[in-house]
Amino acid sequence: MKMRRSILILLLFLLSILETTILPWIIPDAWQTRIVPNLVFIVILFVTVYHHRHTALVLGLTFGMLHDVIFYGRILGAHSFTMGLSAYLIGLVFQIPRAPLPMMLSVVLLGSLLADSMLFGIYNVFNLNQQPYSWAIMYHMLPTMLFHFAMALLLYVPLRRQLEYLKKETLKEDNA
Amino acid sequence: MFNNKRLFILLITLVMFIVLMGFSLGPRKALTWPENFLRDTTGFVQNLFYKPAGYIAGFFEDIGNLKDLAQENERLKILAAQYARDKAQYNFIESENVRLEKLNKFTKAQENMYKYEYHVAQVLGITTEPGNSTLVINLGSKDGVKLNMSVISDKGLVGVVSQVSNFTSTVKLMTMMDVNDPNSQPAIAATAIEKVNSTFGMIERYDPETKKLIMNRIPPGDPIKPGDEIISSGIGGLYPRGLVIGKVDSVDVGEFGLTSSAVITPAAEFEDWKELIVVYTEERVE
Repeated sequence: MKMRRSILILLLFLLSILETTILPWIIPDAWQTRIVPNLVFIVILFVTVYHHRHTALVLGLTFGMLHDVIFYGRILGAHSFTMGLSAYLIGLVFQIPRAPLPMMLSVVLLGSLLADSMLFGIYNVFNLNQQPYSWAIMYHMLPTMLFHFAMALLLYVPLRRQLEYLKKETLKEDNA
Repeated sequence: MFNNKRLFILLITLVMFIVLMGFSLGPRKALTWPENFLRDTTGFVQNLFYKPAGYIAGFFEDIGNLKDLAQENERLKILAAQYARDKAQYNFIESENVRLEKLNKFTKAQENMYKYEYHVAQVLGITTEPGNSTLVINLGSKDGVKLNMSVISDKGLVGVVSQVSNFTSTVKLMTMMDVNDPNSQPAIAATAIEKVNSTFGMIERYDPETKKLIMNRIPPGDPIKPGDEIISSGIGGLYPRGLVIGKVDSVDVGEFGLTSSAVITPAAEFEDWKELIVVYTEERVE
C-alpha cells in the first residue's frame, strides 16, 4: 500500500522534466532568463505544509541533487541544499495541515524568495556572481515568485487532494 | 525547537554540502558512475518531451512568420548567389593553400590544425537561471564529445561543453563566462572579420545586466570599431577558428588606460533551440 507515495515521487520527477523541456517553449523569450520555473519546489512546499517537513527535506535534497547533476555547470549541491533546507525551514514554521488557500499561496511566495536568496548566497560565497542582491531581486526573483504564485494557484486543488489521500494512507499504515 | 541530536545532524550535513560544493567547483575530468547513470536516464526521458514540444511551438511560430516569408526568400536568393560566387573563389584559394602547404613541408599536425568536424546535436533540456544557465544535448563521450568543445547554433557561438557523460553532455552557455569563476570557460581569443591580421582581443566575461560580452586587452592602435563582426581567431587552440561571436557595440579605453575594451552584442540568442552543432577539434598537445 505505497501507491500514493510512488505517485507523488513520479509526479515530482515528471515536473522536474517538464520544467526544463516544455516550459522553456511556453515562457516568452524575453522572460526566459527572468522566470526560473521550479515546479518541483512548489510541490515540495505543499508537502512541507500539509504533510511533514521531514518528507519535504528528503524530497528537496534528492530532486535538487537530480537537477544539479543534470545541469552541472558550476557546482554540485547548490540546488539540493537550498531546496532541502528552505523546505525544512518553511515546514518548521508553517506546518499546518489545515492551512487555507491564501495561507498556502503566501507560503509559496515566501518559500520561493527564500530559496532563490539562498541560492544567490551560495553563488556569492563561491564568488560566482558579480551582481548585487537588489538587482537579482528585481531581475529574476520577483518574476519567479509571481510565476510560482500562479502555478501554486493552478496546482492547489489536485495537490491538496493527493496529499489528503497520502495522509489517509499513512494513517492506515500506522494503525495496521 | 532544536534538540542536540538534530542540531548535530544539521551541522554535519552543512559541512558535507560545503565540502561537496567546494569539491565540485574545481575542474573535473570525468564523472562518477552514479552521475553518468542519472544523467543518461533522465536524458532519455527528456528526449521524449523536448522535441515534440519544440515541434508544436515551432509550428505556431511558423504561422506567425508566414507573412515575412516572401521577404526572407528574396534575401536568401541573394545570399545563395553570393555563396555560389564565393565558393568558386574559395576552391581556388583552398587548392592554392594546399599547394603552398606541400611546398613549405607542413607537418601532419599543422595540416590538420583547422580541419573541424561538425556534428548536429539535439537539445534535451534547458535551464536559464542566471547563476547557472546550461543546456543538455544528446551527444556524449560515446559519440566522441570531449570537455571544452565549442557548441554553436546557426547564428553563432553558444557555449562550451562543461560535463560529458556517456550519452549526454552539458553545455555551459556563454552567459556564464566570468573571470572570477575558476571553472569558467577560458577567455576566447577573438578578431574581427576583414581585420584578421590587425585586430586582437580576449573575450573574458558576459555582463548579465546589459546582456553583452566584454572583450578586453585590445592593443592600442587597433582598427576595431563599432559594427565590426567579431569571430574567434583560433589562437590558443581551445576554441576553433572562425566561429561567429557577435557585433561590436562600442569601444572604449579599458580599466588601466593601456588597452581598450569593446562591448559586443552576442550573435546567438540564448533562447530555445531545437538543434545545435558541436565542433569537434583535433586532439592536440597544449
